[in-house]
Amino acid sequence: MAKRPKQKFFRILCNNAMMLGKIARYVPMYFVLMLAEGVIWGLLNSAQALFMFHLLNAVDGGGTFADALRIIAAMAAFYLLAYIFDKWYWCIQNPLMKQKLHLRMHEELFVKARSLDLACFDDPEFYNDFVWAMNESDNRAVAVIEDTGKLINRVVASSTLFGVLFTVDPIIAALLLFSYVIAVVFNLLANRVGFAHDKETNPLWRKKSYINRVYHLADYAKELRIRRADELLMREYDENTEKIKAADRKYGIRYFLSYGISYDLVGTVTFFALILYMLGQMESGLLAAGTFAASVTMVWRVRWFLTDLIDRLTKYAKHSLYIEKYREFMAFTPALQGEITEVPPFESLELRDVSFSYRFAAHPKYGFHEEDYTPPTVEGDGENVLRGVNLKITRGEKVAIVGYNGAGKTTLIKLIMRLYDPTEGTILYNGVDIRRYDPEAYRRQIGTVFQDFRIFAASVAENVMNGEYTSEDESRVLAALDAADFTEKLQTLEEGIQTHLTREFKETGTNLSGGEAQKIAIARVFARDYPIMIMDEPSSALDPVAEYNLNRSILDHTADKTVIFISHRLSTTRIADRIYMFDTGTLVESGSHEELLAREGKYAEMFRVQAEKYRLAETET
Amino acid sequence: MKPKTNDEKKKKLSPGRTASNNLFALRNIWRASPLYLAVYLGSSLLYGMLDFLSESYLLRRVVNGIDSGEDIRGIVRYVLVLGTVMLVCYLGMRLFWNLVSPIEQRKVGAYVEKLLFRQAAEVELACYEDPAFYDKYVKAMDEAYSRMMKVMYTLDNLIARVVALAANSALLFVIDPWLILFGLFPLLLGFFRRLANVARHDMESERKPINRRAAYVRRAFYQGEYAKEMRIGGMYTTLLRDLRETYADFRRVIRKHGLRRAIYGYIDVIGLEVVTILGATLYAVWSTMCVGSANGGMQVGDCIVVLGSIGTISYCLNNLLQNFAEFGEHALFLEDVRYFLDYEPAIRGGTEGVPSEGGEIAVRGLTFRYAGSEQDTLREIDFVWHHGERIALVGSNGSGKTTLVKLLLRLYDPCAGEITLDGRPIRDFSLAAYRGSFSTVFQDFKLLSLSVRDNILLRPAEEGDDARLEAALAESGAAARIARFSSGLDTILTREFDDRGENLSVGEQQKLSLARVFADDCPFVLLDEPSSALDPIAEYTMFENMMRATRGKSVIFISHRLSSAVLADRVIMMEDGRIAECGTHAELMEKDGKYAAMFRRQAENYLGSEVSVNG
Repeated sequence: MAKRPKQKFFRILCNNAMMLGKIARYVPMYFVLMLAEGVIWGLLNSAQALFMFHLLNAVDGGGTFADALRIIAAMAAFYLLAYIFDKWYWCIQNPLMKQKLHLRMHEELFVKARSLDLACFDDPEFYNDFVWAMNESDNRAVAVIEDTGKLINRVVASSTLFGVLFTVDPIIAALLLFSYVIAVVFNLLANRVGFAHDKETNPLWRKKSYINRVYHLADYAKELRIRRADELLMREYDENTEKIKAADRKYGIRYFLSYGISYDLVGTVTFFALILYMLGQMESGLLAAGTFAASVTMVWRVRWFLTDLIDRLTKYAKHSLYIEKYREFMAFTPALQGEITEVPPFESLELRDVSFSYRFAAHPKYGFHEEDYTPPTVEGDGENVLRGVNLKITRGEKVAIVGYNGAGKTTLIKLIMRLYDPTEGTILYNGVDIRRYDPEAYRRQIGTVFQDFRIFAASVAENVMNGEYTSEDESRVLAALDAADFTEKLQTLEEGIQTHLTREFKETGTNLSGGEAQKIAIARVFARDYPIMIMDEPSSALDPVAEYNLNRSILDHTADKTVIFISHRLSTTRIADRIYMFDTGTLVESGSHEELLAREGKYAEMFRVQAEKYRLAETET
Repeated sequence: MKPKTNDEKKKKLSPGRTASNNLFALRNIWRASPLYLAVYLGSSLLYGMLDFLSESYLLRRVVNGIDSGEDIRGIVRYVLVLGTVMLVCYLGMRLFWNLVSPIEQRKVGAYVEKLLFRQAAEVELACYEDPAFYDKYVKAMDEAYSRMMKVMYTLDNLIARVVALAANSALLFVIDPWLILFGLFPLLLGFFRRLANVARHDMESERKPINRRAAYVRRAFYQGEYAKEMRIGGMYTTLLRDLRETYADFRRVIRKHGLRRAIYGYIDVIGLEVVTILGATLYAVWSTMCVGSANGGMQVGDCIVVLGSIGTISYCLNNLLQNFAEFGEHALFLEDVRYFLDYEPAIRGGTEGVPSEGGEIAVRGLTFRYAGSEQDTLREIDFVWHHGERIALVGSNGSGKTTLVKLLLRLYDPCAGEITLDGRPIRDFSLAAYRGSFSTVFQDFKLLSLSVRDNILLRPAEEGDDARLEAALAESGAAARIARFSSGLDTILTREFDDRGENLSVGEQQKLSLARVFADDCPFVLLDEPSSALDPIAEYTMFENMMRATRGKSVIFISHRLSSAVLADRVIMMEDGRIAECGTHAELMEKDGKYAAMFRRQAENYLGSEVSVNG
């Protein structure tokens, strides 16, 4: 049987209180008004019942018509006023304050998200929670405050009514209280069932939505059409549906037992017992007909308020689970830190005995996992991607890093950029361990074109300047774009460098082709005065002519800079001063192109394989 | 770009169509599970009656009974019978809700979704590029099931309201026909409610584009693809600025429409609570106290019932109007679902089978333009793909190579010209058989979160497939990696659903997708840049194996690296959607045209000065 993680009452309280405190701090008005709203409506709701009570007593118990009229007039006045507040609050004030809260929370989350170590993105559990925090925590905060408002409303309304019923006849109140206690107990049970049920079916629902996605995303459309992949997916879908049904069957009977007893059995029996009791009282002349009717109406209302109260209360346990995730996410401290914020001009970069494995890379410590998370143990995982690498790059050097797929080239770059820290060994910048520098300041020394670069939904200029564009930078942007061979395309763009890229949210945006986008990514590196430039397979999306132009351009523009090329197309590597050849995580050869060819090692072999066909073809002609 | 939002705002369905769409939903639920629909709707009838009997009617029965001095035993009997009936009904229904309903609900869900899936796999690729169609399609996929259920919920609500309305109105009519007027008053308020709703709609539609922008900013912060760029540049400051702007926009929109909403809403609610309910109350109290039951006024029990019932009636009427509005909304959404399901795929196959040994494919005057594009992507392409011929398709980015491949697969039909197989237009062949005779690896191929076996075969496995798979993996160079997996071919790819799943690098993924070609025994092979993510050694081995494995097959491959074009029987060089040059590598080098120039430029890097003298 699935167990619900033990959530101590105190913890639930703390978590929800923390969220309320945050809201009170960020948008104090929201907090105050929400509570006021709860009280006002609580009073209004009980006033309705009280009003009925007095009115019926007046009608039945010998009051005058003028008394009745006064009661009705008082009620009308109350409505007229209360609804002014209600409409102003819900139509104008509440949406405005909600937006303010969203903004404050998002700003905070975004800054946090950016500070996360890249390793966090590799951990699916952490990542799921992270995505949740990004998408849902502000809505959760709103739910907490609004539920609290409603809770106050229910408490105010039901306790007032309880008081009135108690003055009418304590036995009625006692009976009602008894049925309420039973309902709470069984409701808590039902909640446990619900939690276990959700836990069992959540992965199944996720899988269902994955299959849905495959059917509707354009990315998979071709694959679905050329083979019979849809038969596979249908098979998966059917299996999944059966599993969901089996879980529903399993938990159905438990739901029935808890809800059937709490609501149907206890609720119905209590209600009719109350009626019978009151009938007896009326028969003995202890209860007036008007009071009877008013009491029945109040019993209905109290029942409704209390049922709703239980539902709300149980929601707090759920809120707490999510708030806990949010708190841990916000409390997460990045593993990559450093105190030196002034990074001196670049002289040299040295790797000493660097080894690295993704598995043990500053794995985020994340308390939420502790309960039931065991990291997957899969063969091949946790293997060192890099092993005992030693190399030194000095200012102005043009370095090529080559090797087969999976040799660890891209990982090496990530280490040099300090997106990860090595598992073993050190990386020295001007002889100082890079872990001593503030990562942000350190990374500013390095301009990188990633293999999987991204174009942002912003203007061309902002994309080139990485967001920090002012009109003074115009000439720099133009020069950088020119160096990246983008000028021809730029001339076709009506708004020039102000053209908005992507159609993520603007219909009029421009979508670039893969090759064009890559040129923008390359221009980013040219636009700033980075002492070190890293090109991770810069020519992979380019056709041969563009590749040729690019290689030329890089040479022209980087005369005094340190450039690290990563490539498996050896054509690019010929322009490098020094080539480092990697093989499954180990540095196997290094030297200039000529030296390595003369050595007749792996590099020579690799080069020959590529050159062979060209040579062959040349001799044929 | 069409002004889509305006179109949608004006779109209104005729009452007939609205009814038909809602019936369409109910029909589908009925087909999937008649039991569910019947019990669900029946229960609302039952609940409506029980509520009436245990509320208004009970009060009246008791108070009037006591007032008129009726024997208490008769009243007690009524209460006991009613209590027992209610208990039995409630428990019975609870049993249904908890044990039967979830299962039946899933049945309905599966029925509807599979209907959509089947159609999704049928419609032509061009539909994905038509934003209006695609929008409908995504909406249909997302919404169909929940919308159909909502139709049922609304109908259920409607039935419960009608029952309550009928019962309570009858009671009021019996007590005093004038009371009905109070009950009808809320209908007049509908006008203000409508105005309030219009204000809300205006606000929401103005918020939509802002929402899109806000959602983008959020994505940029959490999606792994952006993570590296976010960490190295100042792009996040721009995104934070965007975020603040979207919120300023939100607040502006709320301010613009909020007051209108509040005022109309206020008139509506006061009309209901004060004018209707308190008005009727006043009337009933007056009738009881000032007229008196002796003179034809109300009894105390009647007065009590009026106070409760008038509220119920106004509430039900209010809800009834809302229910009808909901049906209208459901119909709008279902319109998209029906449009999608009723759509006749434009690319339809014939009945002919495809000869298993393949044949000669001829392309004649082929011209093609993507919908919404301003120029032709392919212009008058003519060539013959001989049986067993291997063609290298080369050319710079955007020259139309991939599009040509898509047309050969009949993922699109040409705008002009035609493609024939052994002299017969390809539209004569059955679509499944025709496409099934091709092994294809796309540049942007996708792997699924399924087993390695499923990912290579892309069809249900059959007896003896595993041996072929092993061979195919060896040929494509993926065998070594797969051998390291603990569950071999059964290993699930990606960790989305399986903690023991495996993630592959881009190069490894490509090898796996290439294994598809080795595992299939198809007469035609289409390879769109099959080696772009492979390192030179892997590429070299792959090409060698590919050439061996596809001996006797007709092959077209696209490659940027012209060194591989040398292996082809013929090279077709494309430029701006036309065939610029065509011939063997040797012929084209001889010709010394564009191909030769491109080849030399690439070769220069490898061969150094020997070539650049000529180039």
